[in-house]
Amino acid sequence: MIRAVIVINDQGKPRLVKFYDYQPVEKQQEIIRNIYGVLCSRAENVSNFVQDSTFGPDTRLVYKTFATLYFIVIFDDSENELAILDLMQVFVETLDKCFGNVCELDIVFNFNKVHTILDEIILGGQVVEMSSSEVVKALDDITRLEKNPNSIVRVPKSISGWQGR
Amino acid sequence: MALSGMRGLSVFISEIRGCQNKEQERLRVDKELGNIRTRFKNEKGLTPYEKKKYVWKMLYIFMLGYDVDFGHMEAVSLISAPKYPEKQVGYLVTSCLLNENHDFLRLAINTIRNDIIGRNETFQCLALTLVGNIGGREFAESLAPDVQKLLISSSCRPLVKKKAALCLLRLFRKNPDVVNVDGWSDRMAQLLDERNLGVLTSSMSLFVSLVSNNHEAYWSCLPKCVKVLEILARNQDVPQEYTYYGIPSPWLQVKTMRALQYFPTIEDPNTRRALFEVLQRVLMGTDVVKNVNKNNASHAVLFEALALVMHLDAEKEMMSQCVALLGKFIAVREPNIRYLGLENMTRMLMVTDVQEIIKRHQAQIITSLKDPDISIRRRALDLLYAMCDVSNAKDIVEELLQYLGTAEFTMREELALKAAILAEKFAPDLSWYVDVILQLIDKAGDFVSDDIWFRVVQFVTNNEDLQPYAALKAREYLDKPAIHETMMKVSAYLLGEYSHLLSRRPGCSPKEIFGIIHEKLPTVSTPTISILLSSYAKILMHSQPPDPELQNQIWAIFSKYETSIDAEIQQRAVEYFALSKKGAALIDILAEMPKFPERESSLIKRAEDTEADTAELSAIKSRAQQQASNALVVTDQQPANHPLQVTQLAMVKIPSINEENNHVDQEVTQTNGSLGEGEPQNGDIFGDLLSPLAIEGPPGVSGTETLSEDGALALAPIGEQENAVKPIVDIAEIFHALCVKDSGVLYEDPYVQIGIKAEWRGHQGRLVLFLGNKTTSSLDSVQAVILSPSHLKLELSSVPEVIPPRAQVQCPLEVVNLRPSRDVAVLDFSYKFGTSLVDNKLRLPAVLNKFFQPITLSAEEFFPQWRTLAAPPLKLQEVVRGVRPMSLGEMANLLNSLKLIVSPGLDPNANNLVASTTFYSESTRSMLCLVRIETDPADRTQLRMTVASGDPTLTFELKELIKEQLISIPTASRPPVHQQPQPTTQPISSSDPGALLAGLL
Repeated sequence: MIRAVIVINDQGKPRLVKFYDYQPVEKQQEIIRNIYGVLCSRAENVSNFVQDSTFGPDTRLVYKTFATLYFIVIFDDSENELAILDLMQVFVETLDKCFGNVCELDIVFNFNKVHTILDEIILGGQVVEMSSSEVVKALDDITRLEKNPNSIVRVPKSISGWQGR
Repeated sequence: MALSGMRGLSVFISEIRGCQNKEQERLRVDKELGNIRTRFKNEKGLTPYEKKKYVWKMLYIFMLGYDVDFGHMEAVSLISAPKYPEKQVGYLVTSCLLNENHDFLRLAINTIRNDIIGRNETFQCLALTLVGNIGGREFAESLAPDVQKLLISSSCRPLVKKKAALCLLRLFRKNPDVVNVDGWSDRMAQLLDERNLGVLTSSMSLFVSLVSNNHEAYWSCLPKCVKVLEILARNQDVPQEYTYYGIPSPWLQVKTMRALQYFPTIEDPNTRRALFEVLQRVLMGTDVVKNVNKNNASHAVLFEALALVMHLDAEKEMMSQCVALLGKFIAVREPNIRYLGLENMTRMLMVTDVQEIIKRHQAQIITSLKDPDISIRRRALDLLYAMCDVSNAKDIVEELLQYLGTAEFTMREELALKAAILAEKFAPDLSWYVDVILQLIDKAGDFVSDDIWFRVVQFVTNNEDLQPYAALKAREYLDKPAIHETMMKVSAYLLGEYSHLLSRRPGCSPKEIFGIIHEKLPTVSTPTISILLSSYAKILMHSQPPDPELQNQIWAIFSKYETSIDAEIQQRAVEYFALSKKGAALIDILAEMPKFPERESSLIKRAEDTEADTAELSAIKSRAQQQASNALVVTDQQPANHPLQVTQLAMVKIPSINEENNHVDQEVTQTNGSLGEGEPQNGDIFGDLLSPLAIEGPPGVSGTETLSEDGALALAPIGEQENAVKPIVDIAEIFHALCVKDSGVLYEDPYVQIGIKAEWRGHQGRLVLFLGNKTTSSLDSVQAVILSPSHLKLELSSVPEVIPPRAQVQCPLEVVNLRPSRDVAVLDFSYKFGTSLVDNKLRLPAVLNKFFQPITLSAEEFFPQWRTLAAPPLKLQEVVRGVRPMSLGEMANLLNSLKLIVSPGLDPNANNLVASTTFYSESTRSMLCLVRIETDPADRTQLRMTVASGDPTLTFELKELIKEQLISIPTASRPPVHQQPQPTTQPISSSDPGALLAGLL
């Protein structure tokens, strides 16, 4: 299970914080501070894994840097580290598609959208969708609904391509 | 994606970004929170847009780390908004701000349910997402059926279905009962037939969760999983959007392989073959490529396949293929793969016998210990620790020592501990072990815990051959200009004990040794000064005949510290000073430390505590045990991973056996002050190294009367005790104590305690044995058999064969006394601990005097009886010699404790005692017994005793009983068992201070 997805910048400022295990705000901040402390001292060209005991002995932490941002996923030992890296890549690719070459500012000013995107990828600490094109499709529907709340998204089954047998 | 930004929100974010410092940010946030609070108070005036905006702001502020303790109701109320934009914000923010137990959530449960069962798919998605993220037990109970319906409905779109699957997973975790196993195994199998990979991904996660809970119910799904893998591996009809860098849904492949690892095995040969084909393809067909993302994805699958192969314990060929792959991985450029390669090698060591193959990669692994990435270095350290055995210990430990010099601080303690453990476990010879530990202390003294140096002292003490070597090494380290304080402690200790073995070497005369130690004294801290003082006392003791100059020097130091502000130091100084004036007696009192009892390494115990992955460690250990070098004398006798060792250690020092013993212990400690206040009673005998000479001789040294009295009664326990498990109480002593009282502990070892409680009425008695299991696991093959002497009829109620963890069972024992006899009933108690059988034969305190009932006689009653029982065999007289010295009062107490009640004043001679009692047995009925003891004030070691009763046997037995109690028995000077459980390599001779003391008295 994924315990948390966190995005912080290279100054340690939180840009996206989503815990799938409820943590009180002080604890969240403490975790973020600790993680930043570890990550900012890591060199380049090292592994993406950090020994982490934020949530107890079995948790692991994988991070990836994109420009000025650290993307961090904390998870337990039921997940595969490299697959989590794939997941981060999918998340970032999706952000890229939504914002067009995403940068830190996009995430800062659209943190609400980023939450929406994340919700389409991870639900309750489990991956709900790994195909970024599928995620984008779902987000397009949402955007349309936001603009015109009265329209109802209805995709006829025959052309949806998702045949549910 | 077009962005429907909110100006107010953007402005707020900009202003926060513009804040120069945290203080400004806080002010801005507080202002905003105040603003939101006022706006919410007057809710009527708020447009849905505004409400939405404020709720987003709240989430932003929450993310920045400020507590948002209001407005939750507003967020929750948005959930019931009719239009999508408000509803979406409500759902999203609620699931970030609230936890599952929040009261407001309960209020929204109906709205949420309506959205789930409603016809609007987007609302369904929102509701399922919230429940999947923060749904609690209450949600599980009221929503699970609806969610299940969505998941299996054929008309439900994949978008909704995949969320329903994960929502159900959450509800299942909150309350496993919501998924009915019988009904669900078929449905789960159907879900795994799903062709939409999005839905299948979610369903697979649900499946992993279900099988991890109960794989038995889902055997029918196993072939489906293999089928999924086959489809993905052959890349059959995998839509473009689910191929990731050309690999068919690596995530789903990984999840499916993970699910298979929850099944213990795969029995169906066809399924097994199909799976192995897939795995083979993955193992063979994965190459390191340039694209990082592709590499990650393909290796994610590969590592999962490796894990599955290890789990299935596949054929040897496949396993060696895996090891070969791992060997390749640990040498690649890509750091993630190196990391995982090392980690998986460690894991592999646990499951299969690949030690030898992995050893081939030792050089590479050692190189990884110098990797720039600390994460990789840690994995390398773990692996080296796991793969270490007798054959490579020297190389590995030396590498670790070398690395210690450059390692970062966060790793040093672990490194030092691991090096120490490996050195201890696999030392090819003991001098090497001493070298390693001393080097450890030298290089990283700050990170070497006391446990480590205590351990080396223990080894040296227990191995005579090692002593000169260790002393010499210690001497060499003292030549260094600056040495760590821990090194000072070890060196001072070792030289104090063993420097006399070096005295012929240049620079090693007592005077020189003293000089080199003493010159460091000004630089050390108080606890170390205590050790130094002890070592001066020892040096003084060893320099015979005494060198007056050295003696004066040391005396001067002692008298200087007699006024030390530190009570510990002061006491040592005073005592050593006084002792050292005693001349030859000093030699005995300060004699070399006896060998330490064999015990578990506290290091290993500690490693266990620090090691996160205990399973890993214990697996490593169990392997290590098989290979452990037998070069070491002190080894683990028990299965080392047994948690009980803790109690064992704790019990060594503080035997809370019975009041009398405690009393003795306290007496001892008080007289020689081995347990000064503030001394941590950590229960580890090594703690004693820091205390004064209290334990440097057996406790008899302190020579209090209390002790000698108890000691004098000590008898050897019945039967040969060659058990691996040693009692932690002195059984003989305890038995004697129980002879004169009716409840207490009969026996205790680290795992078992037997208590006893007795009631006596006439010739009958009822004993209750309390068999207590002190451990956290159950005790097996428990047997208690009574070996009954002919004069007693004993009936033990059935004893359960198993005693549950931490439980105590009571076994009543009925006793009937048939006739007078001093024979003793024996309880043969045995149980199984691990593989070894522990068997103890314990004497039961159902002894002659238990059938006495006190009676006080007046002169008019006594003398007629006394005269009636005129001659042998009814009246016996004996002059007893070798009586323990005791005052008349003490003797009266002794008789009273046996229920032989002394009637003072009955005998006109003040030096005589007259006592009486009634004895009960079936043959004799109640029978009066009379005793007269005439003492000689001029010679307390002899007396004349006259015993009379109406039964010749009784008279004889009673006389013998009293004699036993009065005479000091030669074995009396045996020190209590818990001080000396090791084999009797030490002759109990005149050099034994206890014996010497007993002789003096």
